[in-house]
Amino acid sequence: MALARAALESLLRTRQLDKTLTTALPIDLPGDEYASGASGVDELDARLGGGLPRGQLSEIVGSRSSGRLSLLLHMAAVATRRGELVAIVDALDMLDVASLEAAGVVLDRLLWIRGHVVINPGMSRELNQRAMEQALRALALVLQAGNFGLVVLDLAEAPIEIVSRLPFTTWLRLQRMVEGSQTVAMLVGCTPIARSSGGLTVKLGAEGWGPGAGDVRRALFMGFDVEARVVRARARGQDDAPARFATKGHVNV
Amino acid sequence: MSEGSRLQASGSRLPSPCYACVFLPPVTGQPAPEPGLLLEIAQGFSPRYERHRDDLISIDVRGLERFIGSKANLCCTGEPSMRAIGEELLRAAEANGVRAHVALARTRMAALILAHARPGLTVVAPGEEATTLATVPIAVLTRIAGCVIPPRQTTRDDGSADIAALFTQWALVTLGELAALPADDLTARIGRQGSVWQAIARGEDIRPLVPTEPDERFAGSLELEWPIDGLEPLSFVLTRLLEPLSTQLERRDRGAAALHVTLDLVTRDVHARHLELPTPIRDVRTLRTLALLDIEAHPPAAAIDRITVVIDPTPGRIVQHTLFTRPLPTPEQLSTLLARLGAVMGQDRIGAPAPIDTYRPGAFAMRAFATEHRPQTQPQPLVPSSQSPAASALRRCRQPVPARVIAKAGQPLRVTSDRRGYAGGSVVTAAGPWRTSGDWWADGAERAGEPSKAGEAGRAGEAGREKHSALSYPPHPPYLPHLTCSAWSRTEWDVALSDGAVYRVFHDELRDAWFIDGIFD
Repeated sequence: MALARAALESLLRTRQLDKTLTTALPIDLPGDEYASGASGVDELDARLGGGLPRGQLSEIVGSRSSGRLSLLLHMAAVATRRGELVAIVDALDMLDVASLEAAGVVLDRLLWIRGHVVINPGMSRELNQRAMEQALRALALVLQAGNFGLVVLDLAEAPIEIVSRLPFTTWLRLQRMVEGSQTVAMLVGCTPIARSSGGLTVKLGAEGWGPGAGDVRRALFMGFDVEARVVRARARGQDDAPARFATKGHVNV
Repeated sequence: MSEGSRLQASGSRLPSPCYACVFLPPVTGQPAPEPGLLLEIAQGFSPRYERHRDDLISIDVRGLERFIGSKANLCCTGEPSMRAIGEELLRAAEANGVRAHVALARTRMAALILAHARPGLTVVAPGEEATTLATVPIAVLTRIAGCVIPPRQTTRDDGSADIAALFTQWALVTLGELAALPADDLTARIGRQGSVWQAIARGEDIRPLVPTEPDERFAGSLELEWPIDGLEPLSFVLTRLLEPLSTQLERRDRGAAALHVTLDLVTRDVHARHLELPTPIRDVRTLRTLALLDIEAHPPAAAIDRITVVIDPTPGRIVQHTLFTRPLPTPEQLSTLLARLGAVMGQDRIGAPAPIDTYRPGAFAMRAFATEHRPQTQPQPLVPSSQSPAASALRRCRQPVPARVIAKAGQPLRVTSDRRGYAGGSVVTAAGPWRTSGDWWADGAERAGEPSKAGEAGRAGEAGREKHSALSYPPHPPYLPHLTCSAWSRTEWDVALSDGAVYRVFHDELRDAWFIDGIFD
């Protein structure tokens, strides 16, 4: 009986049928772009087993200026150049179009949804909470539409209190929406909040930054040295060593 | 023998096929005929007709002898029946107040030429087409060429006028002389068109009649027994109206290009909404959702008494699916998604980003997100290559955050802000300065240091809250191109602070104040 069950599970894994039918974890197939979405950073992709898993809710977390947005835009650039559509729910409306261009994002394939959340709500906290709910509704709508390659909710600069006030079922609902699809769903924040059981959390930290040289035609800011650590990667975390990569500044003219 | 059995026994008395052509000659001093006049006349006789021009139409009149003409004609040869039909057509034209040329023949081409060449009624006996056309002047070709020659067979260089001129140069006077030319020699001189023109001169059809489809109206209306007030019942009614329209569109291989929803209200007002669809759509759920979202955004003032839906049709979308490319959202899905997102976030908050041709920091535009994307067979390489590191990205503050900056010789040493979330600290590393200015030529007052109206408004609104005043700072350069006309002059620094954050700060030279412009992340 046990043998028969093991054989059946093996068959299901091989045929990549519904993963929920198996108790064991699926076999990683490096380079299978239908199973994972590559981040475009080779060292990080090696740690992630090919990229961030599709059909799962993953996270990029880190403190301010840790390279979260740089990594996100690089992923968006890689996805759009693969021919996928990318949606970014920019809850705080802070995306910089020049940075998108510098990252190489194909702008026609990027659906930019600009939210109303503010860093400093002052007396209008309720409005901020409502804006947060709007952003989540927008994210849910995009996930329900389906067939986007990468869908991102950027909460990196959102006040922690409005994020923590969201019921945890929010994330479970989002996870159910993305399950079984070909979408990489991504949250960007300060701390881990919502990673699904099959998703990954990439924790970033900047190790250093370089100022520009005296040449005024170069970028003012030369980029970060980023350390990326995969946190709680089920069945993928054989190697706990962080991935290191550097970001580059773009010419400011 | 009863009349019915005699009809069956006699069979069709007209030659098969048989065409009638009606031509309305121009009358000096009178306006051109109305475009729909000939269509109206043709529809009274047969559903198979082809409109060539507003003044010229061909009608397939086979079988009409059963309905038109005397019983005696039924026992005769085809010609009396043809004459009876022709006379009926002339009477119909006269009843509409126009004088027409009518010709009937076994070939459409012969009927077309004779309708142009001879006034009144002309009937050609079967088999006599070439003989009848032989005496027609060759100049008639220039008048009929546009409606008998398919566009593929005419070229820019050898158009019908040139060909007719050429035939005149050859001293050809009648169509009979053209028909009598040796076909091989004619083709050798003017190419394949030679044989086409010769066939026309003999009255032979070079293409079949292509029936003109009457303009189909895709509309539905429903008068409600009880007025409805609310989106949910409206949803059911819209579905009931749209389902047959969608089926009708599918049968015709059409999609909706625009959707017009007219709501007659109990107050006798009319609430009309018009939706331009980004792509041909005939899916009922999509159309209903789009209409409902639009009505939700623009609700009627009172309960609804009657609903009318009109669809502007457009040729359907042909999609070739493939197994080798990644699936993308369908235009229907994207249209619905964008409408829903617009209802949640606001239409101006969604779209595709677009850069603007300006040096103004942070300027951008929003374009409508395309609903149709072609699948990509080959991945596009990242520029530069995918091996290159990620570019450093900036989170831009749409409204620059006022900052307190201690600077020495213009270089920031410490950056703090009163705003929550921007703790600040001493500067660990700084890069700069980067001087940028622009649009000073467009705003003389600001250049001279006078506060603008926008600056005054900002001062009134936030008076006393900020020491470094965002108060005297005009609203941050907005993303809309038409608003990017105020002058700016600033000195930018990228600073890494002791709290770990890296900011882009700038000194506004016009207002002598420091601001945080963005956060490197």
